[in-house]
Amino acid sequence: MELRPILSAMLRNKTGVILVGLQIAITLAVVANSIAIIMTRVEKISRPPGFDSANLIFVQSYGFGPSYDQRSTIDNDLRLLRSLPGVVSAAPISQIPMSGGGSSTNLGAEQTREKVTNNTNHFSVDEHGVEALGVKLVEGRNFTQSEIQYNPDPANSDFVPFVILTKDAAKAIFGTEHAVGKTVYDLSHSAVVIGVIENMLGSWVSSTRVSQVMLTPRLESAPLSRYVVRAEPGRRDALIAEIEQKLSGTNPNRAITYVRPHQYYTDRSYRSDSRMVAFLSVLIGLMITVTALGIVGLASFHVNVRRKQIGTRRAVGARRVDIIRYFMVENWLLTTGGVVVGSILAFAFGQWLSSAYSLPRLPPVYVAGGVIVLWVLGQLAAFLPARRAAAIPPAIATRTV
Amino acid sequence: MLAYYFRMALKSLRRNPMLTGLMIGAIAVGVGVCITTLTVYRLMSGNPMADRNDVLYAVTLDSWDPNRAWDPDHPDLPPPELTYRDAQALYDSDIPDRKVMMRKAAFVVEAPPKSGVPPFLVEGRTTTKDFFSMFNVPFKYGSGWDQAAEEASAMVVVLSKKTNDNAFGGANSVGQTLRLDGHDFKVVGVLDEWAPTPKFYDLNNGAFNEIEELFVPYGIGTQFEMQSSGNTNCWRDQTINNFQDFLNSDCVWIQFWVELRDGAKAAQFQEFIDNYVREQKTLGRYERPLNNHLRHPDEWLKVNEAVQDDNRVLVGLSFMFLAVCLLNMIGLLLAKFLGAAPLVGLRRALGASKGAIFRQHLMEVGVIGLGGGLLGIALAALGLWGMRHLYTNYDELTRLDIPMVLTAIGIAVLSGLLAGFYPTWRVCRVQPAAYLKTQ
Repeated sequence: MELRPILSAMLRNKTGVILVGLQIAITLAVVANSIAIIMTRVEKISRPPGFDSANLIFVQSYGFGPSYDQRSTIDNDLRLLRSLPGVVSAAPISQIPMSGGGSSTNLGAEQTREKVTNNTNHFSVDEHGVEALGVKLVEGRNFTQSEIQYNPDPANSDFVPFVILTKDAAKAIFGTEHAVGKTVYDLSHSAVVIGVIENMLGSWVSSTRVSQVMLTPRLESAPLSRYVVRAEPGRRDALIAEIEQKLSGTNPNRAITYVRPHQYYTDRSYRSDSRMVAFLSVLIGLMITVTALGIVGLASFHVNVRRKQIGTRRAVGARRVDIIRYFMVENWLLTTGGVVVGSILAFAFGQWLSSAYSLPRLPPVYVAGGVIVLWVLGQLAAFLPARRAAAIPPAIATRTV
Repeated sequence: MLAYYFRMALKSLRRNPMLTGLMIGAIAVGVGVCITTLTVYRLMSGNPMADRNDVLYAVTLDSWDPNRAWDPDHPDLPPPELTYRDAQALYDSDIPDRKVMMRKAAFVVEAPPKSGVPPFLVEGRTTTKDFFSMFNVPFKYGSGWDQAAEEASAMVVVLSKKTNDNAFGGANSVGQTLRLDGHDFKVVGVLDEWAPTPKFYDLNNGAFNEIEELFVPYGIGTQFEMQSSGNTNCWRDQTINNFQDFLNSDCVWIQFWVELRDGAKAAQFQEFIDNYVREQKTLGRYERPLNNHLRHPDEWLKVNEAVQDDNRVLVGLSFMFLAVCLLNMIGLLLAKFLGAAPLVGLRRALGASKGAIFRQHLMEVGVIGLGGGLLGIALAALGLWGMRHLYTNYDELTRLDIPMVLTAIGIAVLSGLLAGFYPTWRVCRVQPAAYLKTQ
């Protein structure tokens, strides 16, 4: 099939061709970049948390008044929680993983300002913490009951003698060396690493160091106490109601401020990401629809103004399939022109996004995917008008208006 | 004449309802998407203190680590909060017309035993008294507390509307007693609905959080040795064994604002804080270069990057989408107008001037723009409804208001005219003779 007559016909309607070509180009730029953004967010949301998120419940209690005693409250609460049927394990915990709130401290393998730079997110638990969170110990050992520290002064900043690190925290601090048995330092304290666990996500889901986590054997001082409760599969929601009811009556000197599934925190922390995914998906859908309609519109216009020409071609021997092919090739040329410009635009836009908003660079595969989608879309959109063109009877050539 | 053009436009639009629908639809989705993202963006980039912007200032001092800036990505920024002792020192200055130091603290509220409501935890704020007058905080009942109550750290409390609804069923509770953390507090005021967005006065603790549920005098927090329930950031390696150690530490956790009625006062206060820091330097503190700022609310929101990048990216993408919708519309209009070229030729031959043809077609385009705008507003309302479902923390705020509706119509008509200009110009250049011949 010769392209020359098709090209020269397109040049006669430059404006229409440029308009649709530009639409295709912008669509490609937006779709490729949107998909790149969506994919990074989906990847972020679907990361494994490294602990038994689906079955975890978090409880917060807040003590007040002169007769409140933190230590006995924690002991009684834990005894009650562990006695409930359906509870696998329960432990005190200082913060809630993936909640956006937490504590972190700089650690290093030596006690020098240059070395103490590895920002590590820490959670205080007791000897049941590993089991209650459902994290996997891969090296060394867990805390024992006698190692759990307690200091009633809320402002006390004492360190602990033993810690457990995640693999990523151990790697950041010690490199490839074995961490168990080594000492970690902050600027004024030290602790021995007794165990290493598989990675778990820490407090801040958007942090690049989210999996650099440390467990410390310590009970928090008054007035707050938090617990992590691990339920047997399927028992979580029933347990939430039961815990709320059982705990609230036990102690007049504190308020149970919440009993929540861990899901609450993952939903909340990922909300802006899921919003971005939802919005961009809708935008991509709308954009492709509008562009497809634009292609249909232009092709229909071309068919309409060329009715006589098509009839003449049919009269001199062109088959229906030739007419269809003519419009399909014309559309393919148009889309190709659009995606060539669009690819440049997509990379330029991606470059700007990554420099201005520190988004990751646009991977070429999304542009390639977008090109294929637009090619297919263009052909589909052109097919209807092309079929209509093929239906024009040859006899029209013989009529003079 | 205009009415006639309008009737002509409607008639022309009715002749091809499919095409008309497509054009109005294209503008409508374009405008709908743009208005949705713009509303969210504007909400998040708004300045709730716009009317007091000229006299209010957030105060920051660079007391941070000499080896490492507060924000390594923006080394010129001091920490957003002050240490307890520095706040205390600045508060003693007489230069500001008004001044406030404050911080967050959680309280347990005990309802009267007979109510059967179990004790509940609320987010509170301990603050000095000017908070309410400086930030134009609306009161439903009563007022804030006075100088005497402040100096005595009196057990008085101002409730948010929500807390008053929960604890007193919305009744006028001024003069009533509320038990907080085991102490009786006297209610002196109840706020009306107040939702400054972003929460400019404390951006470091959730820029889009709701306001605190109750407010008590600043001294209460110290007297009861209450931990901050907001972010506390420390850098110096200091051993903290008790609350007094904590108050004396270089940890930052106090928000500080001043009201200065004119530039001279502002310069005077700037000099005061710089001198204070110079004096502290001689005591071995403040090892970083002098970097103290008074920032108006608008600048404060900007340097703290209250608007998330995501929202800017969404606005950018929406306008690219609108561009595609407009290109689409230009194409459709061109097809339509040139399709009707024979008619135009005939009318030109019968004496219609180029100008008249131009105005008639532009009117048609304007009608499409207006229709698209109105439909776009409906779509934006739908989009915002969807956003609320994805973003529950500012339920009441992501709604369309009059300025946004006007913006929507403005964008629609303007983009309609912009898109219509070229096709209209093309159709005016129709040579009457060319079309009359073939008739």
